[in-house]
Amino acid sequence: MNSKESCRSELRIAIRQLSDRCLYTASKWAAEQLTGIEQDPANFTPSNTRFQWGSSSIRRRFRTNEITSTPIAGVSYVSTPVMEEDDAVDGDFYLLAKSYFDCREYRRAAHVLRDQTGKKSVFLRCYALYLAGEKRKEEEVIELEGPLGKSDSVNRELVSLERELSTLRKNGSIGPFGLYLYGLVLKEKGSENVARTVLVESVNSYPWNWNAWSELQSLCTTIDTLNSLNLNNHWMKDFFLASAYQEIRMHSESLAKYEYLQGTFGYSNYIQAQIAKAQYSLREFQQVETIFEELLRNDPYRVEDMDMYSNVLYANECSSALSYLAHRVFMTDKYRPESCCIIGNYYSLKGQHEKSVMYFRRALKLNKNYLSAWTLMGHEYIEMKNTPAAVDAYRRAIDINPCDYRAWYGLGQAYEMMGMPFYALHYFRKSVFLQPNDSRLWISMAHCYETDQLRMLEEAIKCYRRAANCNDREAIALHQLAKLQYELGRPEEAAFYYKKDLERMEAEEREGPNMVEALLYLATYYKTQKRFEEAEVYCTRLLDFTGPEKETAKSLLRGMRTTQSGFSSMNVEHFSP
Amino acid sequence: MAGIVKPPGEFSITPHKVSVCILLQIYAPSVQISLPFPFASVAQHNRLGLFLLALTKSCDDILEPKLDELISQLREVFGVLNPRFVDHLTTRLSALSSPDDLFNFFTEMRGILGGPESCALEDEQVILDPASNLGMFLRRCILAFNLLAFEGVCHLLTNIGVYCKEALSSCASYETTCFEDSSSNLEAFPEYENMDLENFVFKKVTEEIEARKRASERVSFHLHAPKALFDLVEDIEAPADPKSKHSDKVGETSPYVHPPNYALKEFEPNSGIFLRTNWQIQGYLQEQADALEKNGSSFSLNAFELILRQLHKLAPELHRVHFLRYLNSLCHDDYFAALENLHRYFDYSAGTEGIDFVPPASGSNSFGRYEIALLFLGMMHFQFGHPKQALEVLTEAVRVSQQLSNDTCLAYTLAAICNLLSEIGVSNTAGILGSSFSPLTSIGISLSVQQQLFVLLRGSLKRAESLKLKRLVASNHLAMAKFDLTHVQRPLVSFGPKASMKLRTCPTNVCKELRLSSHLISEFGFESSTMTTDGAFSTAWLKNLQKPLGSAILSQENGSGSNENAFQFCVQPSSIPGSVLQLIGSSYLLRATAWELYGSAPLARINALVYATCFTDASSSSDAALAYVKLIQHLAVFRGYKEAFAALKIAEEKFLSVSKSRILILKLQLLHERALHRGHLKLAQQVCDELGVLASSVTGVDMELKTEASLRHARTLLAANQYSEAAAVAHSLFCMCYKFNLQVENATVLLLLAEVHKRSGNAVLGLPYALASLSFCQSFNLDLLKASATLTLAELWLSLGSNHAKRALSLIQGALPMILGHGGLELRARAYIAEAKCYLSDPSFSVSENSEVVLDPLSQASVELQVLEYHELAAETFYLMATVFHKLGQLEEREEAANSFKKHMMALKNPLDDEDPLFNVL
Repeated sequence: MNSKESCRSELRIAIRQLSDRCLYTASKWAAEQLTGIEQDPANFTPSNTRFQWGSSSIRRRFRTNEITSTPIAGVSYVSTPVMEEDDAVDGDFYLLAKSYFDCREYRRAAHVLRDQTGKKSVFLRCYALYLAGEKRKEEEVIELEGPLGKSDSVNRELVSLERELSTLRKNGSIGPFGLYLYGLVLKEKGSENVARTVLVESVNSYPWNWNAWSELQSLCTTIDTLNSLNLNNHWMKDFFLASAYQEIRMHSESLAKYEYLQGTFGYSNYIQAQIAKAQYSLREFQQVETIFEELLRNDPYRVEDMDMYSNVLYANECSSALSYLAHRVFMTDKYRPESCCIIGNYYSLKGQHEKSVMYFRRALKLNKNYLSAWTLMGHEYIEMKNTPAAVDAYRRAIDINPCDYRAWYGLGQAYEMMGMPFYALHYFRKSVFLQPNDSRLWISMAHCYETDQLRMLEEAIKCYRRAANCNDREAIALHQLAKLQYELGRPEEAAFYYKKDLERMEAEEREGPNMVEALLYLATYYKTQKRFEEAEVYCTRLLDFTGPEKETAKSLLRGMRTTQSGFSSMNVEHFSP
Repeated sequence: MAGIVKPPGEFSITPHKVSVCILLQIYAPSVQISLPFPFASVAQHNRLGLFLLALTKSCDDILEPKLDELISQLREVFGVLNPRFVDHLTTRLSALSSPDDLFNFFTEMRGILGGPESCALEDEQVILDPASNLGMFLRRCILAFNLLAFEGVCHLLTNIGVYCKEALSSCASYETTCFEDSSSNLEAFPEYENMDLENFVFKKVTEEIEARKRASERVSFHLHAPKALFDLVEDIEAPADPKSKHSDKVGETSPYVHPPNYALKEFEPNSGIFLRTNWQIQGYLQEQADALEKNGSSFSLNAFELILRQLHKLAPELHRVHFLRYLNSLCHDDYFAALENLHRYFDYSAGTEGIDFVPPASGSNSFGRYEIALLFLGMMHFQFGHPKQALEVLTEAVRVSQQLSNDTCLAYTLAAICNLLSEIGVSNTAGILGSSFSPLTSIGISLSVQQQLFVLLRGSLKRAESLKLKRLVASNHLAMAKFDLTHVQRPLVSFGPKASMKLRTCPTNVCKELRLSSHLISEFGFESSTMTTDGAFSTAWLKNLQKPLGSAILSQENGSGSNENAFQFCVQPSSIPGSVLQLIGSSYLLRATAWELYGSAPLARINALVYATCFTDASSSSDAALAYVKLIQHLAVFRGYKEAFAALKIAEEKFLSVSKSRILILKLQLLHERALHRGHLKLAQQVCDELGVLASSVTGVDMELKTEASLRHARTLLAANQYSEAAAVAHSLFCMCYKFNLQVENATVLLLLAEVHKRSGNAVLGLPYALASLSFCQSFNLDLLKASATLTLAELWLSLGSNHAKRALSLIQGALPMILGHGGLELRARAYIAEAKCYLSDPSFSVSENSEVVLDPLSQASVELQVLEYHELAAETFYLMATVFHKLGQLEEREEAANSFKKHMMALKNPLDDEDPLFNVL
C-alpha cells in the first residue's frame, strides 16, 4: 500500500486539473475519495474532525471483515508522474470559454476556442462540442418520436470529432484527456475494440480521471475482455477492477477489492455505497441497511444509490423508514429517477399499486433505460394482475440488460400465472442460469414443474435439490423434497429429507405444521420399518403438540407396544415404566 | 408497454412525402393555378397517376427513396427527354426555405382536393377525390403537417434540405471542393439562415448536375463504376481538415455506393433516412415472411438480419420485426436465436398482432393472446425435431386456448398436433402420449395413436369448418385424405370381428377428401387481405421499372426515346396467395401418392408432373424434391436405371442444399434395386444397411423407412438363396407391421413371404401367404399389388405341377390387363415368362403348332429385362427361348439365344468384373 500522503497529493492536483477541464463528475469523484482518505492522527486539526466518522458503530462492527480481506501481496504500484500543465496561466479566451461552459452554453464555449491550439483548449472545445451534440440529441429524441417509437437520434458532432481526434492522435498531440474523449466518441459510434484500446491508453497516462475508467468499465462485459486489458498498476486500477467485478456479477471478488481499498480510503462514502451494493447482491440485507444508515448520517442529502436502500427497506417491510427516506429524497431532488423509484417502492409496500406504477413511470420518463424501475413496475403489474403489461415491462428490462435475472424471473411468474407453466420454464431457466445460487429461483422453477398441468416431478426434485444446496432461507425445499419423494413412492428418501428438515427446524428453533408433519411421517415410517425405538422417540415428541396428530401419535404408540409385546414377551419389562 | 406506447398507425410527414405531394399537384392541379402542367398525352398523365399510386403502396423496401432515386424512377417512367417533371420537382423543393413556405405549400395543397361541390367544374379538370387512395394520402399528409409542432416543422425543413443536398451531392462530388467554403458553415445545421445560401448553391449547380447526371447515369448501374467514384470522393476528403465536414457527409451518403448495402449505413447519422408508412412496412414484412417460407435456406441470413436490425433501430415499437427475425433464424436452423426471438416477439406483442388476429369484440380481451405463442413454440420445436417438447407445448396451448375460449387458436393447435402425430414415427409417440396427454384422456378410452390421431383430425376439421377457416379446412381435408390412405377405419366404439368392416381407403373416398380441399381456390378470395394483393401489385410494377433498364439506356443512345415497354405489366403478380397455392400443390402430391399406392402409374406420374411444373414456385423445396423423387422412381421402373440415374443427377444438382436426405434415400433405393437385379449381392447388402441407418436418425425412428429397409434386407437374403433367414426377417417384419398397423406394408410382406416359399420350392406353404396378401390388397384397393400377388399365386400353382398349368394361365390372363397397363418393366417381364411357362408345361400344348404364343412374350420379356439388366430372369428367358427354338429346329436362333443365356449367366456369376461407373456414387 502506498502512502496515504502521496494519494492525497495526487488527488489534490488531479481535482484541480479535472475541474479545469470541466470534467465535473470525475473531479467530484476524486474529491470524494480525497476526503475519504484516513487522516494521520498526528496531523489532524480539529477543523477536520467533522468529516471523520471512524468512531462510528459500523466501522467497529465490520472491522473483522477488513482483517480477513487479504492484502494483495507484492503489488508494486507504478508511480505515474503528475501531468505538467502545458500553460501555467490560462489564456483569456480559455477563461471566457470555461465560464460559458459552466453556464452550459456549450456551442458558445466551442466557438470562443475555435482558433486556440493549446492542448487544454482543444480538449475543451471538443468536449463542449460533444456535449452540445449530446444535448441536441436528447432534445431530438423527444422531438422526433415517430409513430413506431422513439427514433434513435445520433449525436451529429461525432463524425467531425472522430476525425479531428484521430488526426490529433496520429500527431501524438492528443493528451490523456483527448484520448478519453476520443474513446467516448468511438464508443458512441460503435467501434468498441478501438475505444477500449484508446481508453486504456488514456487511463495509463492519466489514471485519476474516473470518467475514463467508468467508460472503460462499460466496455468490459466479460471476464475475458477484462483480463485482456493491459493496465498499469496504479491504485486507481483497484477501484476500476472492483467496480468491473461487480458489473460482471463477481460479487465476492468485488467485495474483497473494496475492503482492501478501505484500508486507505477509510472514510469514502463511495466505497461504502459500493460495498452496500455488493452485499445487496449477496443478499446480506442486514449489513446493507446498517451501511446505508451510516451513509445517510454522514451525507444526508445523498440521492445516489438510495433506491437500493429503499429496496432493502421494502424487503424488510419497514414502511415508516421507507416513508422517511422517500420524504427526504423528495425534498432534496424530486426529479431524480431514484427519488421516483423510492416513492414507488413506498406505495407498493402500502399496497397502492396504481400510485406506485405512476411513480415508476415517472422515473422511466426521466431515464428510459432505468433498469430497476422497469423490473419493479413489472412486479407492480403482477400485483395488479395485469399480466400483459407486466410481461412488457419485464421484457423491456431484459432488452436493456439481458443479465437481469429478476426480470427473467418475473416473466416466468407472469406466464405461470396465466396457466402456461411449460412456457414459463424457459424464463425460469434463464433466471437460474444467471443467478444459480438463489434458492428462491430454484424453488419457483420446481414449483412450475410441479403444477398440475405438467407434473414433471423428477425435474422438480432436481430443482428442489439445487435450492436446498444453496441456503434456502424459507426452508421450503427440504419439506417439498420429502413430500415429493413420498409421492413417488420412495419412503427411504422421504424419511431422509424429513429428517434433514427436522434437524434444520430444530437448529433454527422453529415449530409449526411442517414440524408436525415431519414427526408424524418419521414415526409411521420407522414403525413400518420395525425400528420401534426411533418411532417411539418421534411419537413422544408429537405428544407435545395439540391437535389430531397427538391422538394419532398416542394410538401409534399403543399399537407399537402391543405388537412388541406380542413379538417378544421376554422384553416386556423393558417397557414397563 | 400497455400505457406508454402510442397507438400505432400514425403517419409522419417526410421530405419524400412532400415530393409526392408536389407530383400530385402536377397530376391534379388546383383551379387557382392558371396554367396546368402540359402533358404530352393522356397516357402520360395516367402513367403519372399510376406511378404515384405505386409510390404510396409499394412494399419492396423499408426506407423511403431518396430524391435521386425518385428522380431516376421518374426518368424511367417518362423518358429522359421529358425532364420537366424533374425540374419542377427540384425547383419546388428548393423553394421551400422557411417554415412559412411550408405552411403556404400545404395550404396550397388543400386546394387540389376536390370538395363535395367540385362536380360543378368543367370536365377537363382532374379532380382528386378525397376518398380515393391518392386523395387519402394527401389528406393524411396535410393532417400530419397540421399536427406538427414548430420543432417538427423545423425538422422537416432541415430534412428537406438534406434530402435535396444528398441528391445533388451524389453527382456533385466532383465539385464539392469548389463550394466547400460556402458550405462550411453548415456544420451548425439547425441555423436556418444558411438555407438560402444552400439553395443558392443548389440552383447554381443544378444545371451542371443535370448534364453530369445524364452522362453518368449509364455507368452508375455497373458494378465497377461506383467504386471509381467512391475512390474519387475518398481522395477529396483525405486531408482531415476540420472544415471539410460537409464533404465528408457527401462521401458517406453517396447513393451510388450505399443503397444496396445496409451494413455501411449503420452508423451514419440517420437524418436522411425515413421509414415508409406503417402500412407499407407491414406489407414488406409480410412479403419477406412469404419469401422466407418459400425459399427457406436459400435466403441470406445475415443480409436480411441487417435489414431487420436497421428497421428495429428506426422503429423500436414495431414488434413484427422480432417475428421476422424468428422466421429467419428458424430457416437457418439457429435454434437459440429462434427461441430468443420468438419469446421476445410474443412478450412484446402479446400475440395481438399475429397472422389471423381477429380484433377482440368490445375489448373483452385485454389480457393478450399468449396461447398463440404456445402454438408457435410448439411448431418451432417440431421444426427443430423435438417432438416431445412440441407435444408438451401444444398440449398446453390446447389447455390455454380452451380456458380463454380462443377457438381459432384451438383449431390450429389441433391441426398442428395432428401434423405432429402423423409426421413423427408412430413408435415414438407411445411413451409420450401415455403419460401426459390430457385432451384425449378425458374421452376415457385408451386409444391407439392412430385412433387418437383420427379423433383429433375429426375434431379439428369440425372446428375449422364451424369457424370458417378456409385454409385450415383445406389442410385438414388433406390430412384426412392422407390418413384414409394408409389406415383402415373401423367404427371406433364397436371393435371386434363382427363389426362391419367399412373401409375408407377406397380411392373415391380419398379423392373426395382431396377435392374438398381444392375447393379452397375458389373461396380464398374472401379471406385474402387487400394489403397483400395491393402492395404486391405496386411492388411488382415498380420492380418492372428496373427490368427493361438496359433497353431504356440503349434506346436513349439511339435517340429514339421510346421505352414504352417499361410500362407494360410484364409479370402480373399472381393474385393467389402463396399459402393457398402451396396447399393445392400438396393436394396434387398426395394424389400422386394415392395413385401410386392404388397402382395406377400413369395417373401418379401425371399428378407428380403437374406438381413439378405448376407448383414448384410456391412450394417448399422439400415438397418439390418429393415430386422429383416420384418422377425418378417412375423412370426407374418404366425406363430402366440408366435414365433414372441421369435424372437423379439433375435432381441432386437442383436440390443441392435442401432436403438432401430424401434424394439420398432415393439414390440408395435405386442402387439397391439395380444391385439386386445385376446380382451384386454384397453391394445390395451394403446399400441396404445404409438405408437402415438412415431410418433411425437422431430425430426419431422413421417407421416407413425402417420397414422398407428390412423388406429390402429380406429380399437381398432371398436373392442370395438364404431362404430360412429371409423368411425369418420377413416374419419379424410382419409382426412389426401388424403391431403398428402398417396395413399396406403388411400386404407387401405377405407377398414377399409367398415369394420366399416359392423360391425355396415349398409351393404349398406359399399358397396361403399369397392368398392372404391378395385379400389384403383387395380390401385396400391396392390394384397393382393385387395383380402382382395374383402373378405369384399363378407361379405357385405352376410349380405344383403341370396339371395346374391351366389354372395358373387363367389367373395370369386375368391379371394381365392390369399388369400391362400399369406395371413396371420387371413385373411385365415376369408375367410374360410365367405365361410362356404355363404354355410350355401344358401337355396339351404343342410348340411347333403355336410357337408365336410362346415366343412373342418371351422376346418381349428379354428386351425389357435387358433394359433393367436383370441378369437372372434374362438368363431364364433366353434359356426358355433356346429350348423353344430347339424344339422348332431353328438352330441358328437357338445358338443365339444360348449365347445370350451364357452371357447373362457369366454376368451373374462374376458380378464385379465390369467396371461400374455408378458403383462409386455412394
